[in-house]
Amino acid sequence: MVTSGQRRHYGAGIFVLAVLLYLYAPVVVTVLFSFADSPRLSLPIQGLTLDWYASALANPLIVTALRNTLILAAISAVGGCLAGTAFAFGVLKLQGLRLRQALLTASLLPAVVPLLVIGIALAVFFRFLGSQPGLLNAAIGHILVSLPFVILSLNARLETFDFSVVEAARDLGAPPMRAFLDITLPLIRPSVVGAGLLAAALSLDEFIVTWFNVGTQLTAPVLVWGLMRRGVDPSINALATLFLMALLILIIASSQLGRRKSA
Amino acid sequence: MSSADAVASMSTPPRSSGRGGVPLMLAPVGGFYLLFFVIPMCSLFVLSFWRAQGFDIVPTFTLDSYAKIASSPLYRIILLRTIGVGLVTAAITVPIAFALSYLMRFVFERRAQLILQLLLISLFSGYLVRIYAWRTILGKQGLLNSTFTWLGLIDAPIEFLIYSRFAVIVTLVGLLLPLAVLPIYSAMSNISRDHLEIASDLGSRRLYLVRTILIPMALPGVNTAFAFTFLLAAGDFVTPNLVGGSQGIMIGNVIADQFRGTGANWPLGAALAFVTVSCVMLIVWAINRVIRWVTRW
Repeated sequence: MVTSGQRRHYGAGIFVLAVLLYLYAPVVVTVLFSFADSPRLSLPIQGLTLDWYASALANPLIVTALRNTLILAAISAVGGCLAGTAFAFGVLKLQGLRLRQALLTASLLPAVVPLLVIGIALAVFFRFLGSQPGLLNAAIGHILVSLPFVILSLNARLETFDFSVVEAARDLGAPPMRAFLDITLPLIRPSVVGAGLLAAALSLDEFIVTWFNVGTQLTAPVLVWGLMRRGVDPSINALATLFLMALLILIIASSQLGRRKSA
Repeated sequence: MSSADAVASMSTPPRSSGRGGVPLMLAPVGGFYLLFFVIPMCSLFVLSFWRAQGFDIVPTFTLDSYAKIASSPLYRIILLRTIGVGLVTAAITVPIAFALSYLMRFVFERRAQLILQLLLISLFSGYLVRIYAWRTILGKQGLLNSTFTWLGLIDAPIEFLIYSRFAVIVTLVGLLLPLAVLPIYSAMSNISRDHLEIASDLGSRRLYLVRTILIPMALPGVNTAFAFTFLLAAGDFVTPNLVGGSQGIMIGNVIADQFRGTGANWPLGAALAFVTVSCVMLIVWAINRVIRWVTRW
């Protein structure tokens, strides 16, 4: 099990690279074909063009879709962040490892239920309430599906948080709010912002729950879905590439922020 | 012990009074989950016993929807196919995830964080886009077929690559693999290298180490990964819709159509969802029992 020497690991290295290639092939292909000038999507690529970007951005629906997507992302980032941070902190402060573990596991439940089931369950609930499908309903769905990931990432990042610093401040006479604003918040800010960016990325990418709850409104993924179902159109690749870039920036920023160890 | 620690440990009473706010901190997420997760799930369950009448839903108590599912050979075929695709997907994904986690933990320890980051980035990068891209790769005139033709390996495009169960499984494995690595890798992180080294210094053979340390420690993670992968694969409807074609239709498509299709029937869709989730959970439970029995040694 504990092998010595690097020679033996060639096979293992190739395996890891092959798996990563498999995971990233779709991303690479999408970006590559967004610049290919033949609409036939086959190799060899004859020439390069930016036409697909022009035709993707010429879609009149795109402005509405982007606006709605940004609204939803902002709501999920702020809502998920506030509730998620409070929860992650509350769990950390709890006495008793088993209670902590149980709460944490329970908070992950929405991540293991298929999104289809969450989407239709929310749609049924809103119908019972008499609430018309729309952006607000979708926003609630977005917060729900991003919370497990926000809590998970915050929990990992706050585990090393040193409560004694805050307690020292309290013992020296700082009121709770003051201790929170002056000591806790500056220490956890990178983790919290990181979690917010993660929530925004999840919201940006969310399609299934949105699809069942947004009604006739458009979001970027709903627009992309409509185009995809209509058939092969290289401007989808252009739109998808822009979309991927936004997602990658958010995700990488989120993970970098988490890395800067706060405490 | 730092002075801050000393102060904190001396003054226990104010410390515990600081915990008064804990319920308040847990309340927002707790309330949100109750209102928008637990109650909607219950609503869905209740709805499965109601009846659809045209565009309206009539609140009664009827087993009509369940009877319709039980008596229809079409639903049975699609449900069985969904379970089959889910099981095959999990059976491919979990061993790959296990091997990857093992290599990250014990062979490429220094690169493990980087590999984990790459897995997470792929997990969160464009659900729809990644599915659609497989159509570009596997399509009749797609990347693989056109490359093979260009190289002179084949005369006619390989048909089964796209709009088939094969395409669905290839796509689902790619979607779910990063998610499957997380629990397995986290379980393996708990295995201390020292344990293994001490055991092997004491003369334990490799196979013995695998059997007594690696597998028992990693098993909970493997079980979780298997359950996730199976359930999420069986519940996907976008993948079969975009790459599955007519022979790749899965129960998710049928359920989604009951809610947004032309012949919508919400109670039937709700019943189908519960039947599917119950079947999957039952199978996961049975497989867990079998694995526990096999690994009793």
